[in-house]
Parts: sequence; structure tokens; C-alpha cells
Amino acid sequence: MSEDLESQLRAALTPVAPRDEFTQRLIARVTADKGTEPSARGIRRRSPRATAWWLSASMAASLLIAVGVQHYRQERREAERGLEARREVIEALRMTSQKLNLAYEVIKNQSSLPAEDKPGV
Amino acid sequence: MRNHILRIFFALMAPTLVWAAPNPRLALPEFSALAQKATESVTITLDAALLAMAGRFLNGNDPQDAATKEILKGLQGIYVRSYTFDKDAAYQQSDIDAVRNQLSAPGWNRLVETRSRKSQANVDIYIMVANNQATGLALIASEPRQFTIVNIVGAIDLDKLHKLEGQFGVPKLDIDAPKAPTPSIKK
Repeated sequence: MSEDLESQLRAALTPVAPRDEFTQRLIARVTADKGTEPSARGIRRRSPRATAWWLSASMAASLLIAVGVQHYRQERREAERGLEARREVIEALRMTSQKLNLAYEVIKNQSSLPAEDKPGV
Repeated sequence: MRNHILRIFFALMAPTLVWAAPNPRLALPEFSALAQKATESVTITLDAALLAMAGRFLNGNDPQDAATKEILKGLQGIYVRSYTFDKDAAYQQSDIDAVRNQLSAPGWNRLVETRSRKSQANVDIYIMVANNQATGLALIASEPRQFTIVNIVGAIDLDKLHKLEGQFGVPKLDIDAPKAPTPSIKK
């Protein structure tokens, strides 16, 4: 009895090569599953046209921002130079006026001296 | 042919004529050796472009800025060299002679020369005049511990410059023209 059971088990567990159509069915099923599978990041793929549009828009925006920043920096530099020039003009005229006053003061002091004390001018 | 030769002649002569015209701009030395000894040095170089730029940043509503703007009209350059030292006789008169010698060139007229034994301050003011108009000013002020050279190129108005006293922190000297005598009232 045990020999019969053993031979029956052996016959049942004998490996059997799959038929050709099985292989093809399996490949077709795998391909179909791959098409509908979501990507790992969960992002839907865009069409090439939409991608090109977004790329152009972002490049244009970057260019505009760069030009704007450059323009702002240039204006700021000019403003700094202008204010520095203004400060120097005021300082130069102040010093000139101060020295003119020095000359006037000397002349005024000499004109108030008695005649014998006046040095030659 | 003759006109052609005359044109070439004047074209060649033009640079010479320009060179011969008096130049109100002085060649100011660097004074690098004196700058190292000085406790305070001021070097200001403002050409026409910088003066125009400064003018744009002057506020016409501010009295000081308005006075400055008024003076800047017609100016082509302002050049200042000023050095202050912590002891007397730190510089030699020969250091300034290189500038003073330029003022003996044709075109420059000495307007004022003051010598004060009391304060030991010497101030020389030169002016260049062309077509009855001032085209340049040069001022050399030497004191025991400071000397200042100012060169202003352009149509400078000394009256306006003098009226700056009271502005920029420069004290008023109250130098006025003599007053006319008040008429006595007979009763």
C-alpha cells in the first residue's frame, strides 16, 4: 500500500514543461501590467510639447530676473557714486569758502591795524 | 589748390593753438610722501561728468544744496589737495612750489596775496580770465600745520562762493560794505 502511494505521489509531482502558449500569455500579462503601473514618484508624464513650453517659460523668467537684478545693482552703484560725488562737492566748496574767509579775515585784521603796524600785502 | 593748402596749414596749426591757450587746470602732484606724514589728507578730483552726477543728487529745496547747485553751474572741474599734520613745519614750501610755478604761466592773475604774521597763514588766490569771464580759480593756503590747494575750472563766481559763509558750517565773518551815513532829521 505504501508503495502504491509513493508511486502515485511520484507521478503527481513529476515536473511538466509548460506549453508555448503559457509563456506568451505570461509575457503579454506582464507587459499589460507595466503600462498601467503608476511611477514610483506618482507624477504623470507630460507630453513633449508641454515640457518644451515650461522649459522656455522658466528660462525666460530666469533671464528677466537676472536682467532686473543687474539693472537694480547698476542703479544702486550709480546712486552711491552720485551721493559720494555730492558729498565731495560740498566738502570741496566748504574748504574753498573756509580758505577764502581766511584771506578775508587777514585783510580785515590788517585794515583795522594802525598805519605803522600794517605789513605789506 | 591754394585753399587746399590753407586748409592743411590750419589743420596742422590747430593743435598748436589749442596747446598755447592757457589751461585753467593745474597739474597737481600726488604728494604721496606728505600724505604718509599727514594726520589727515583730503584728495578730491571731480571732473565735469562727476560734477553733473553730483548735481543730480542735490536737492533744490535744501538751502545748502541749492547754493551748491547754483555754484556748480558752468564748472568743469574741482580739484582739492589738503594735508593736515600734527606738528609745525612738517612740510616745506618747496613741496608747493611745483604748483605755484604753474601760476606764473600766462593767463593767471594773482587776485589776493595775504601774509599773516599773527596766525602764520598765507593765502594766495589766482584767477584766470578769458573774454571778461573767470575761467579758473587757484587757491593756495599754507598754515603751520596744514596746506590746502584748490583748483576750480570753469566759470567760477567768487561772490556766490563767498556767500557760502554760514553754509557748510563755515562761520560768517560779517564782512559787509560800509553803510551809508543816516540822514539827520531837522526839527
